[in-house]
Amino acid sequence: RAHSNPFSDHRLEYPRSPDSMDWSKFYPKHFDSEQGQMNKKVEIADIGCGYGGLLINLAKEFPQLLCLGMEIRVQVTQYVEDRIIALREKYAKDKISNYQNIAVLRGNAMKFLPNFFEKGQLLKMFFCFPDPHFKQRKHKARIITNTLLSEYAYVLKEGGVVYTITDVEDLHNWMVQHLNDHPLFKRLDENWEKQDKCVELMWNSTEEGQKVTRNKGSKWIACYERLPTPEDCD
Amino acid sequence: MKHPYQITVTDKSGDHLFVSVKNHLYAFNLKTGAVVGSWVDTVDISVPLKKQQEDKIKVLEQEALKKDSNEDEESASKKLKNANGIKIPKIPVPGPGAPPIYNYVRSLTLSNNGRYLIGTTDSDKAAVIFNVDFSEENCLKLMKRQIFPKRPCAVSTSADDSTLIVADKFGDVYSIPIDTSEPVDEKSLVPILGHVSMLSDVLVAQHNNKQFILTGDRDEHIRITNYPRTYVVKNWLFGHREFVSNLHIPSFDPSILISGGGDDYLAIWKWHENKLLSKVQLRDLIQPFLNDSHLPPERFLKDDSPKEISIVKILTYANPKSNEKLLVVLCENTNCILTFKLDENEFSATHKQTFETKYPLIDITLYQDTILATLDIESEDNLIELYNFDVDSVLNDSSKENLSLINSISLANNCDVESRKDFYPLYYINSLRKRSEH
Repeated sequence: RAHSNPFSDHRLEYPRSPDSMDWSKFYPKHFDSEQGQMNKKVEIADIGCGYGGLLINLAKEFPQLLCLGMEIRVQVTQYVEDRIIALREKYAKDKISNYQNIAVLRGNAMKFLPNFFEKGQLLKMFFCFPDPHFKQRKHKARIITNTLLSEYAYVLKEGGVVYTITDVEDLHNWMVQHLNDHPLFKRLDENWEKQDKCVELMWNSTEEGQKVTRNKGSKWIACYERLPTPEDCD
Repeated sequence: MKHPYQITVTDKSGDHLFVSVKNHLYAFNLKTGAVVGSWVDTVDISVPLKKQQEDKIKVLEQEALKKDSNEDEESASKKLKNANGIKIPKIPVPGPGAPPIYNYVRSLTLSNNGRYLIGTTDSDKAAVIFNVDFSEENCLKLMKRQIFPKRPCAVSTSADDSTLIVADKFGDVYSIPIDTSEPVDEKSLVPILGHVSMLSDVLVAQHNNKQFILTGDRDEHIRITNYPRTYVVKNWLFGHREFVSNLHIPSFDPSILISGGGDDYLAIWKWHENKLLSKVQLRDLIQPFLNDSHLPPERFLKDDSPKEISIVKILTYANPKSNEKLLVVLCENTNCILTFKLDENEFSATHKQTFETKYPLIDITLYQDTILATLDIESEDNLIELYNFDVDSVLNDSSKENLSLINSISLANNCDVESRKDFYPLYYINSLRKRSEH
C-alpha cells in the first residue's frame, strides 16, 4: 500500500508520554541494565523513513547518536526492521558501525510526535520525499503545515535542523513558504547545504531519491534552523 | 410536549440564564423567569451545500473563460448551461452513509465580561456572536456571524474579550475579532494552531498575566500553547488514555485545571507547571447509574465490554459561608450529580455526595449557590430543575420552592415535538471514543 491516511484511528502503539516510552527494545545495546535506563536519547528522527536508505547511512555517519525512523505503513516498517536486524547481525563484531544506533517504529508522527519526544530532544528531523497530496483539500494532510511546524519546533533543540527534500516542485515551494512564514525557523543557505554531510546523504541515499535520479528527475532541498524561542513565552 | 433544553449557561452575577434548544436560544431573568432575549437560527441546512455549488460554478466559469479564448463553440451541448456556457453542477447530495446534519447550536459560551454570548452552529459551520444588552427589549443582538471551513465545536475568548478563539472538528484553532467588523471569507482564515485530531474543548488561561490557549482533543491530548504567540507550544499534559471532552479552570484558583472525557477518572493539574496533581476516580461511584445505553455500539460490543463513562460537565463551587471548595461532575446520560470536596493543599478530591435525580440530566450550570439542570424529560412545564447547596455544601432539590420560575422558563420554549423520537441527539459525547478497526 503506497498511502496511509494520517487522520484515521489506526491501531497504533504509542507511549502515553515520552517518560513512559520503552526504548530498550529498539536500542538494546544502549540500555544500561544496571541503572535500568537508556544511556542515550534519540536525537535524529527520519519522519516517513520509507525503506530506510537514509537511516542506514545516518547510522554510519553518526555512530554516537541514536536515530529513529518513523513510518506509518506496516509492511514498509517491517521491511526496514528486517533490514536493520540483518545489518546488526552482519556487523555484530564492529565496535563502532554496528547499526545498534538505528531503529524503526510504526507510528503517526503527525498525531503522536509529542508522545515520543520531549521538548527540545531532537537535533535533526528529516522529511524526505513526503506524500505530495496534490489536491487542494488534502493539503492539511501534508507533513509540513504551519500548525505542525510548531510541534516540530517543540521537539527540536534550538539550533536543530529540519531537512526537506522532494521531487515535486509545488510541494517544495509549499514547504519553503510554510517554513519561511514560521517564526521559529530560518532557512540555511546554499553554502551551508554544500558543507553539510546530511544534505549529501539525503540527496543520494534514500530509495525515492535514487529512483528520481534514475528517471533523471529533479530534486529540491530546503533546510531550516530552529531559532531560539522568544523570551517570556513560558 | 417540548424538546428538552440542551445547553445551559449562567452569567457571573447569577442574574441571567442562557439556554439552547435545537436552533433556538433564550435568555431569562433568573429572579423573575421572564424571557429577556431570544434568537432563532434561520439558516437553511442546505446553505453550505449551495455554497459548494456556487464555488464549483465559479471555478467552471473561469475554466470556460480560459477555454473560450482558445476554441469556439464546438459542442453545442444538450446539457443545461448558464449564460457563460458552462454546465451547472448539481447541489451535492450527502451520500447514504453521511451523518445527518442538525440545525442546532453545538456550543454556547459567555465572554469573561458577560457582554458577549457566543454560539456555534452546525448548519453553516459558523460562530454567532451576540451583544448582550439587558436594556434592550431583546437582549440578544447578533453582532457577527463568521463561517469557518470546518464545523466549530468549542470557543473561548481572550482575557480582554476582544478576540474569539474557535476550535473545530478538524483540529484547527482560529482567532477572529469580537467586534462589528464584517466577517471574512472563511477560505482566507489561517489557523493559529492545530492538532491532527478533532478538538473537543478550548480555554484561554492566564499565568502571571500571560495568556495561554489550552486545547483538548479526541486523541487524549491536552496541549498548552502560548497566546498570542501560538507558534510556541509550551507543553502537553499527558495523563488521559481516552478522549478529552471537558476542560475546567476554577475561578478561585486559575493555576488549576480539571480535565475529563472518556476515562474513568478526572485529572487535576497544575497546568502551567506541567504537573498532574491527582486523579479523581469515578467508576465505582457512577457504576450504579450506568445502563445498557452506556455499552459500546453493537459492532464493537464484546461479552466483557464495560459500560462507558463520558464527562459532560465539570464545575467547581466555593461555598462563601464555609469556604469549602467543591468539584461537581456530570456524566453523560445519568441520573446523578457527583460532588467532591477539594483539598486545596493537596488538590486531591474526596467524594462528598452522590445526588440522585429523577430524570437523566443533559447539562448543568452553577449560579450563586444553585445548580440549574436541564432534564431529559417528556414535559411541557418542567424542563429544568434547581438544586441548592446548603451551608454544609450538601445539595438539596429546591425545585419545589421555585416552581413558578421553572414553569416560566419551560413554557417559553417554542420547540414543540410530538414524541421522544423527534428529540435531537441529546447524548453525543461518547461518540468521540476511538474504536479502531484497522
